[in-house]
Amino acid sequence: MANQKLDLLQGTLDVMVLQTLHAIGPLHGYGIARRIEQISGNQVLLNQGTIYASLVRLQQRGWIAAEWGASDNNRKAKFYSITRNGRKQLAADAAHWQRLADVMGRMLAMSPGGETR
Amino acid sequence: MRTLLAHVAAFFRKRALDRELDQELAMHLDLATEDNFRRGLSPEEARRDALVRFGGVEVAKEIHRDARGLPWLDSMFQDIGYALRTLRRDAGFTAIAVLILALGIGANTAVFSLGNVFLFRPLPVKDADRLTVVAVQRKADADPDDVSYPDYLDYQAHSSAVFTGMTGYAIRIVGLGYRGHADRLIVSYVPSNFFSMLGIRPALGRLINPGEGDAPRTGPVVVLGHSYWEKRFGGDPDVIGRTVSLDGTAVTVVGVVPKEFLGAFNLVEMDGYAPIGMLGFGSAANILTSRDEHDLSVLATLKPGVGISKAQAALNVVGQRLAQEYPHADQGQRVRVFSEPNARPDPSAADSKPLVAIVFLLMVGVVLLVACLNVANLLLARAAAREKEIAIRAAIGAGRARLLRQLLTESMLLALIGGVGGAILGNSVGYVLNGLRPLGDIPLRLAFVFDWRVFTYVAGVALLAGILAGLAPALRVSRTDLNLALREGGRGLIGESGRHWLRNGLVVAQVAGAVILLVAAGLFTRSLTRAESIDLGFDPHNVLNVSLDPGLQGYTQPRAEALCRELLHRTQTLPSVRSASLAFSLPLGYYNNGAPAYAEAQAPSPSQHVPGATSNAVTPDYFTTMRMRILEGRAFTDADTAASQQVAIVNQTMAARLWPQRDAVGQRFSYKAATGPFVTVVGLVRDAKTTSLLDAPGMYFYVPQTQDYHSAHVLQLRTSIPPESLASAVEGLVRELDPSLPVYEVMSMEQSLEGANGFFLFKVGASFAGALGGLGLLLAVVGVYGVVSYSASRRRHEIGIRMALGAQRVGIFRLVISQAVLLLGIGIALGAAAALGVSRLLASLLVGVSAYDPVTFVGVSGMLMAVALLACYIPAHRAARVQPMAALRDQ
Repeated sequence: MANQKLDLLQGTLDVMVLQTLHAIGPLHGYGIARRIEQISGNQVLLNQGTIYASLVRLQQRGWIAAEWGASDNNRKAKFYSITRNGRKQLAADAAHWQRLADVMGRMLAMSPGGETR
Repeated sequence: MRTLLAHVAAFFRKRALDRELDQELAMHLDLATEDNFRRGLSPEEARRDALVRFGGVEVAKEIHRDARGLPWLDSMFQDIGYALRTLRRDAGFTAIAVLILALGIGANTAVFSLGNVFLFRPLPVKDADRLTVVAVQRKADADPDDVSYPDYLDYQAHSSAVFTGMTGYAIRIVGLGYRGHADRLIVSYVPSNFFSMLGIRPALGRLINPGEGDAPRTGPVVVLGHSYWEKRFGGDPDVIGRTVSLDGTAVTVVGVVPKEFLGAFNLVEMDGYAPIGMLGFGSAANILTSRDEHDLSVLATLKPGVGISKAQAALNVVGQRLAQEYPHADQGQRVRVFSEPNARPDPSAADSKPLVAIVFLLMVGVVLLVACLNVANLLLARAAAREKEIAIRAAIGAGRARLLRQLLTESMLLALIGGVGGAILGNSVGYVLNGLRPLGDIPLRLAFVFDWRVFTYVAGVALLAGILAGLAPALRVSRTDLNLALREGGRGLIGESGRHWLRNGLVVAQVAGAVILLVAAGLFTRSLTRAESIDLGFDPHNVLNVSLDPGLQGYTQPRAEALCRELLHRTQTLPSVRSASLAFSLPLGYYNNGAPAYAEAQAPSPSQHVPGATSNAVTPDYFTTMRMRILEGRAFTDADTAASQQVAIVNQTMAARLWPQRDAVGQRFSYKAATGPFVTVVGLVRDAKTTSLLDAPGMYFYVPQTQDYHSAHVLQLRTSIPPESLASAVEGLVRELDPSLPVYEVMSMEQSLEGANGFFLFKVGASFAGALGGLGLLLAVVGVYGVVSYSASRRRHEIGIRMALGAQRVGIFRLVISQAVLLLGIGIALGAAAALGVSRLLASLLVGVSAYDPVTFVGVSGMLMAVALLACYIPAHRAARVQPMAALRDQ
């Protein structure tokens, strides 16, 4: 289990991107990908390329904004930041994931006798 | 919504967005490489690791594009581009498939356009959707007919609760004289509310004023039809106010109708419109007063929200009252209301038209089906050749749905091009029909329009054709097992048995469809032959007809009579003329003279109906010329003059109806009124087909021209040489007598019988069904040939082995042919069974031939079998000549 990376569930990548931008502020694509890998402790199987599909999706929904700017080493890069709508969406998503995680936790805590441990 | 806009925007800004994405990804990889480098990897390894972790740049781009744009639209354009390239590469295949589809769709377009004219397209008038036709059935089993003018006035006066207006028209052929030259015009005589109710505005001048010419012998004006105005007066606006003569009466041209208004009658364009009161001048004056003269086609506009049935109920009340008040004319008469398109071209067609429409729509439906099956088979055959290409596309990642869509795009594209061709083909059928002249010299003018109805129908049919033709092949091909296909190197043996089954099934269905079409065509053709060999009661061969109407030139009765006498005399002296006579109307012609027949001393009781008869005014030699047998009594002679006893000759039906127990000769009757004047029957003539080819003969009587004057005449000559060859001589005789007197409809009696009341509908029906049957035959033969020669070529290897093992050429020949025979046999059996079910529909449209006519069924089956086997001779012969060594070496 430990040496097998987690497949990302449908829609989770979008939440991760939003949360990353919410927590850290404007980032470029590579920065977001790196941060997700770091935070997950390299548990997530992430094709970094897929992050760009997620970014364009979020952008088209108006949850993040993009702007060309200069990177640390002064190169032109596209920076993404979360919008107000994005924060609302994130709050909703976060609540949803929290509930789901709680329920899953309780379900999995069920002992063979049917009693909650 | 906003998201959708973003997607659409992205779709159109594709190139710029792609560039940005490229930059972004390059940046990403650079940053990753640098990070790796800093972690101590070598430059190459750093780059490699960055790429691995990125996971495929092109894939990422693809996902990105899908996420941002409109992927289905993208791939649709791709599919279309690809399909166009494929179709262009296979130009031969494309041409054949498009042609087949164009024929199928064209047949559908033609029938639908015709249906559009007769069933759907509203007249270009006000409130056309609420326009109805009011007609009466004089007996329970009679066809709906026109209304008498006095009845019309009553219906109009007592129906304002359900109709906003009621008007009508009576069509007449009249002469319009202007500056010494007379034209024959087809004119609608109308009540003064005609144009205002229909919302027609003049293109020039004015139309008929309210109340103008509603009283007999008033309203000496004429409104010209647009085409006639352009043809005769060169579109000259100064024509307004000029005086012309209409059947000898001076009238003023007051206006011209707009171009798009052809009149309310759907077959021909009106040349002019005159107030109904002007009919009071002519010989048919009593149409304005008699309830027995059913001459007015009545139109009424429903009030908004009122349905046909409510209007029907309201008129029923009026009808019942009329029956009480005028029992001799209106008893037993039933009034009916039709929506206007249902009563085209004439209310009498209202009850049989839907059946005709269904039969022909079914037939073209079968044609379309056969065409689609044919193209499906072509596509299948081609797919076999493309198996490898498709396998490669599948191998590089095209999913089944994607392949399916690609293949369907191809067939849809074929159908689309075929649809354009079909629309052009179908529309040209309309032009052909518009040239026909079933009404003497008057050309048909069907308002064929490529309107949205036709467009929608054609588009729908093309779409259907694309799916029908493409779906089965696409489903089959996209299921191809790519490993096997690639390995087989294009010989495609996989699924072969299944594919054969499908192809064979398609061919069987085509053959069955063709049998249905051919049976219908055969039945119609046999029906036409039977109709042509019906005993008409007169001999139409070697008779020349020449029409003339001195009244059009303003001849008075005495002058016209003198002219006709002289003309008849001179004609009889022409060599090769055996006899010559004059008549008012032609048998099975497009006009007739209807008259009541009151037998003397049996005045009809109030509840009894006055029998309606048809009459003709003829000269003494008429019965000789027409070869009609006088059964009793005598023919007319020169001694029957205006001054002598009034006489008539009646047909058998009339004699039996009026004097059932007695000898008709010597009896008296009146065709004017119950009180006389009476005419004496001097002869009994055999029944003849004078008014209708199909119906049993009605009451018909003849009177001498000297005792019943009409200005219109038909000169008829029985000749000993082909009658057409005398035409110019006769026209010369008329010119000698009066150079300005026009003759018209100069044609043989046989030609004249091609008219609307003669064989016209049979001919049109038979040639149309024949064309569809021929199309079905062609397609089925092509289909059988295709599948047989395809499978023979596929079996080359097997045939080689068989021959190497000692099979005879005859045996191989038989092997191939037997496949064809099997396919044809099954197809014909299924088709004949289906045709048996369908032909019941045709029964009422056929004359003299049963819908289950065994000759037709056996004949068309045999013909189809023979033609198809002849076509299969080629592949069978080719297969039998296979060189075993060559065939085996090929592998």
